[in-house]
Amino acid sequence: MTTMTTLTSQPAVLLRRVLISIALFAAVGSQPACADEADTTRDAILNDPAAPVAGNPKGDLTIVTFFDYNCPFCKKAEPNLERLVKADGKIRLVYKDWPILTEASISGAQLVLAAKYQGKYDVAHQALMNIPGTKISAEQMREAIKASGIDMDRMDADLKEHADEITALLRRNLAQADSLGLQGTPAYLVGQYKVTSALNYDGFKKAVADARALAAKH
Amino acid sequence: MAYASSGSSIAMPRIRLLRIVLFLLAFSICVPVSAQSGNPPPADQVFSLTASRSTEGGLQLDWRIAPGDYLYRDKIAVKPAGGETVAVTTPPGQIKDDPTFGATEVYHDHVAANVAAAGLPAIGQVIVIYQGCAERGICYPPVRKSIDLATMAVTNGVAADPLRGIEAAVPNESRVGSPANISGPDDIASATTRLLSGHVLGMLAAFFGFGLLLSFTPCVFPMIPILSGMLARSGEHLSAKRGFVLSGAYVLAMALAYAALGIAAAWSGQNLQIALQTPTALGVISLVFVALALSMFGFYDLQLPASWADRLSGTVAGKSGSIGGAALLGFGSALIVGPCVTPPLAAALLYVAQTGDLARGAAALFALGLGMGVPLLAFGTFGAGLLPKSGPWLVRIKHVFGFVFIAMAVWMLSRVTPEWLTFELWGACLIGLGLYLGATSALSKKFWCNCRVGPEIPGAIALVCGALLLFGSIPGNDLLRSLPILDSCKTNDEAAAGIDVQTVTSLATFDAAMTTARVTGKPVLLDFSANWCVECKIVDRNVFGNKTVRERMRDVVLIRADMTDYNDDSRALMQRFNVVGPPTMIFLDAQADREIPETRTVGPVDADAFISKIASARGS
Repeated sequence: MTTMTTLTSQPAVLLRRVLISIALFAAVGSQPACADEADTTRDAILNDPAAPVAGNPKGDLTIVTFFDYNCPFCKKAEPNLERLVKADGKIRLVYKDWPILTEASISGAQLVLAAKYQGKYDVAHQALMNIPGTKISAEQMREAIKASGIDMDRMDADLKEHADEITALLRRNLAQADSLGLQGTPAYLVGQYKVTSALNYDGFKKAVADARALAAKH
Repeated sequence: MAYASSGSSIAMPRIRLLRIVLFLLAFSICVPVSAQSGNPPPADQVFSLTASRSTEGGLQLDWRIAPGDYLYRDKIAVKPAGGETVAVTTPPGQIKDDPTFGATEVYHDHVAANVAAAGLPAIGQVIVIYQGCAERGICYPPVRKSIDLATMAVTNGVAADPLRGIEAAVPNESRVGSPANISGPDDIASATTRLLSGHVLGMLAAFFGFGLLLSFTPCVFPMIPILSGMLARSGEHLSAKRGFVLSGAYVLAMALAYAALGIAAAWSGQNLQIALQTPTALGVISLVFVALALSMFGFYDLQLPASWADRLSGTVAGKSGSIGGAALLGFGSALIVGPCVTPPLAAALLYVAQTGDLARGAAALFALGLGMGVPLLAFGTFGAGLLPKSGPWLVRIKHVFGFVFIAMAVWMLSRVTPEWLTFELWGACLIGLGLYLGATSALSKKFWCNCRVGPEIPGAIALVCGALLLFGSIPGNDLLRSLPILDSCKTNDEAAAGIDVQTVTSLATFDAAMTTARVTGKPVLLDFSANWCVECKIVDRNVFGNKTVRERMRDVVLIRADMTDYNDDSRALMQRFNVVGPPTMIFLDAQADREIPETRTVGPVDADAFISKIASARGS
């Protein structure tokens, strides 16, 4: 229950606390784009053509979310983020499936990324983020996706056909998280800032405002 | 290629430095926002693990958990390297019940867990896996630690690549199986290690058997001429019994040398056999061989004082080929002449080094040495018995072995001398042989045979070849290279031509090479090799000279760990991978920075076996 409190009340204390882990990741983007680090440049992180994108594709601010389908904090923070993206209207949201917590997380990420080929990434993603708990098995994840109305046959076929692409994307995500020095889930890039813990609605809002303010300075 | 690796190792820090500078710059701008700093500490620091022996002989694990962080009770797992998960006794934790989290049991601050001795192997590594979160809203990936059961040292288990299971084409089924493969060198040793911890008699028999098998490899071949030389030198008294006694002394000393190797390994943590492959040691032993050769040529009589020899042999001596001398040669040969690292030897040495169980390890190595010596013993006994009793031919035979010993001296030196110098020496040898044959042709005709072709013909051939080698191998002269006959004498690098090799000699250069290799996404072959390692050259020729292997190696990054200079740097590299000596080849998963299980080869390996290792390395 303590975590619940932390995330939902005491906004002033909270803000300080949630921003503890905010730092710039501009440095990442300044690397020379040499071949061996091509996957982890700032551009590659923000504009990976294979990475699912939500929100306003032409928005003035990009938020990148690194998450795992067995990560409780990710699930807790997710609705706040989605709500803000909708309310703000000018945020581009990039999803980085980063399955590091459990074996089943990998399976979940594969299924959801396969659903992207029928244009249903967000549906499958929400289905998994809405299952509470930290020990969701691969079977449970599959059930949840099925219940969300995804064409399972198509998804399985896509999973088979695009297995290499999906794996390659996950590999890139892993490499990018490593290059950012991320230690656990969730983690967010909000404009120039790196946020390395879950946020509540106000937290996200503040981070977005700060990131815009910083961008305006430059 | 060595340049490529060092080039990128220079470039990397520069990029990193740039990143840090920019980070600091940018950070100073945004101080008002992020009043407190940065990334959360890695899970490794948040949950610190120590291990100790419990009073019942099991394994006790203690975690200190940083304030604000917690460990999941049900995510603590222990498994012996390469084995199945074993039962862990953990205390009940605090129940954390939250709609989003579900009910979980967690630990704050501190927790201790126990693993019963029954579930653990006697030696080796166990892997401990644990996972937790921070209250402020971050969950860590599983932490993997490796514990050495002998020392209880906790080291970083190599991080498992989370995507490892799905790389194969069929995603859904391929995830099955544990992701927790570890960096252990267990494949080689596992079978023999099990043997070592089994019943003493069974173990001794097994190692004796290994030795017997090894005796038919180049590890033992060089010892045959040495032993024959010994026997020939002992002259007229060469009865079967005498031969048996002499070769027995030789073999016994050889076995003792292997036992000593085990003791040295435990005592100093070093492999004596490798330590003796230094230029100085090889130079000294070459001199010994030259001295032996001169004695063969009759310049002087090399023997222990008669009284010693008598005491040693226990027989009334006429002219005894000294038993002490035989023993000395046997001891030296084992350590220096046949420096073969083979799986049983490696296993026994690792076992001794890890457990400190001197008696057992030394006994195993002694049995190994005895096994290796059996054919020598047979040769010494029956070979000697078959020889005619006496006659002028004996002088001839001695001279022949004189040349054999000279050749041995050159061969030993060739491990450390440059190629051209080796050829010069061989040239000189051949010229000497030619002159000898020519000079003695007149008087010796009747000794050699009654045919028309006298020794002057081979003598002339030896002279010509010798001269060719002598003048052809002067540095800068390409004559030798143009001779097709020398194709078989290709050096390591030439045999591996067409395969890019990065040569490393220390942990630092290795890490740099790995950084480069990681980018390619290919598996890495780490090849422990050395110029003095005869087996390595055979492997080079048979394996890297093979067409199919060269083709397959295109998908593999070859890093050669050069152990020619046996120093602290090369020792550190060997220790990191628990390598006993060259030739040892290990496939590494560069991404996950771990050894690919079941791919290690120790000692000689043929092309087919190696190709299957490449296949399993790429398939993993």
